[in-house]
Amino acid sequence: MAGPRQGIAFMGLAGLMPLLVSLLLAMLMLLPLGSGIAGYAMPHLVMIACFYWLSWRPLLMPYGACMAVGLLLDLWLGVPLGVNIIMLLLTRLFVLNQLKHYKGKNRGVYWAVFSAMAFMLFGISWLIMCAVTGTILSVDAIFLQWLVTSFSYAPVAFILGRLRRWIL
Amino acid sequence: MQTSGVGDRGVRFRRGARGRDAFWLYMGIALAMLALEIFGSGIPRQIRGYANDFVAPVLSLFEGPIRASQAGLERLAGVGDIYLENQQLREENDRLRQWRVAAQRLILENERLSQILKVPEREIPPVATANIIGVGGGAFERSVLLNAGSGDGVLVNLPVVDELGLVGRTIEVGYLTTRVLLITDLNSRVPVRLERTNAVAIAEGLNEPFMRLRFMPVNSSVQVGDRILTSGHGSLYPPDVPVAQVVSIEDDIILLKPSSSLDTLDFVRVMDYRPLPPEVVETEDPEGQTN
Repeated sequence: MAGPRQGIAFMGLAGLMPLLVSLLLAMLMLLPLGSGIAGYAMPHLVMIACFYWLSWRPLLMPYGACMAVGLLLDLWLGVPLGVNIIMLLLTRLFVLNQLKHYKGKNRGVYWAVFSAMAFMLFGISWLIMCAVTGTILSVDAIFLQWLVTSFSYAPVAFILGRLRRWIL
Repeated sequence: MQTSGVGDRGVRFRRGARGRDAFWLYMGIALAMLALEIFGSGIPRQIRGYANDFVAPVLSLFEGPIRASQAGLERLAGVGDIYLENQQLREENDRLRQWRVAAQRLILENERLSQILKVPEREIPPVATANIIGVGGGAFERSVLLNAGSGDGVLVNLPVVDELGLVGRTIEVGYLTTRVLLITDLNSRVPVRLERTNAVAIAEGLNEPFMRLRFMPVNSSVQVGDRILTSGHGSLYPPDVPVAQVVSIEDDIILLKPSSSLDTLDFVRVMDYRPLPPEVVETEDPEGQTN
C-alpha cells in the first residue's frame, strides 16, 4: 500500500507529472497524425496513461485528476461530455480494486489486464454513445480502436516507465 | 505495534470512504452532463466550442513538426515509385493540356452566354481559409478542428470545402477555432444529385471512409464511376459542389468515395454560403418553420 508521503502534496511539482503527462497525451490524441485511417483508430493514450500511473503511483492520479483529464478530453475531442470522464473514473475504480491480484507480476500480465479492462470500458462507451445518439452504432470502429489501444500499451507504458524512473 | 496496525487500518478505511464518495460525486456530475447531451441542451456544444480555443495554440505548435515529418516519410516512401509516377504524370500532363484548351474555350462561351441571359453570379466567396490543427470524435464521430473561429467571421453551419470537393460543415465555433463535422460522420446527410442523370438523393455518412447513397428515385440508373454533386436542397450546401463518386453497387447498397481528400486534409476553405437572408432566419419559429 502506498504511504501518504507518495501523495501529490508531498511530492511537489514531480507529483503533478502523471497529471501533466496525461494532459499532454490527451493533446496528442487530437493531432492529425498519419492518414485518415490512423486518425480513425487513434489509440486511447490517456486510458493507457491512467492505467499505468494508477498501477504504479495510485495516489498521484486521484479521482479528481481522472475527472479533470476526462472532461478536457471530452471537450477537446468533441464527444458528448461525460463519456471519457466515466471511462477514466471506471479505470481508477477497476485498478484500485484489482491491483492486489496483479501487482508485482510480469509486464505481460499488466498488458493482459489492461486489454481486458479496455475491452470492457470501450464496450461501456459504445453503450453510452448508442444511448446519446439514439441509434445502434457500428462496433467495427470501436473494436479497431480497442485493438490499436491494446497494442499501443506496451510502447507507451515503456516510455512512461522511463519517465517514472527518471523523475519519481 | 498492534495499536499502529489498528491506526493504519483506520486511515485506510477513511481514505477508502473518501475515495468512494469522490467516485460517486464525479460519476453523478458525468451522468448529469450526459443527460444534458441526451435531452438536446445546447450548453455542452457552446462550452466545447470555446474549450478548443485553449488547446489551439498547443496544437498549432505541434502541427508544424508533424506535417513536416509526415511529408518527409511520404517523400521517402515515394522514392521507389518515382520513375513510374513520372511517366504517369507526363501522360496526364499531355491530357490536361488538351483539356485546358477546351476549358478556356468553354469559360469564354459560358461568360458570353451568362451576360446575354443575365444569369446571377454563383461564385461563393470564402469566409476564411484555415489549417486543420486537430482531429476529434475518437471512434464515434468524424470531425476536424480548424484554426479559424468567430474572430475570423466563421459561423455555425457554413459549408467547408477543399480543392477537390465538399469536406463538411461547421458545427461548433469558438473565437479561435471551429469544429467541422465531416461528410463521412454518421450524423451527416448531404442532399445530392447524380451529375449524369440529375436524380436527387441523400449521401449519408457511415463513420467509415465511404458514404452511402440513399433515397434514390425508383428506376433511376446509377453506375460505378458516376459523380455526385450537391443538389442545393435544404439550403445548407451550395449546389454543384463535388461530393463523391460511386465506387460500388451491391443490391440496394450504393457506396460512395468522397471527392475531397479527407485522408490528407491540410488547408480548407469555409464558404460564406447563407442563402436565407438574416431576417428570415431570425423569424423562424421554434419548430423550424419559416414565417
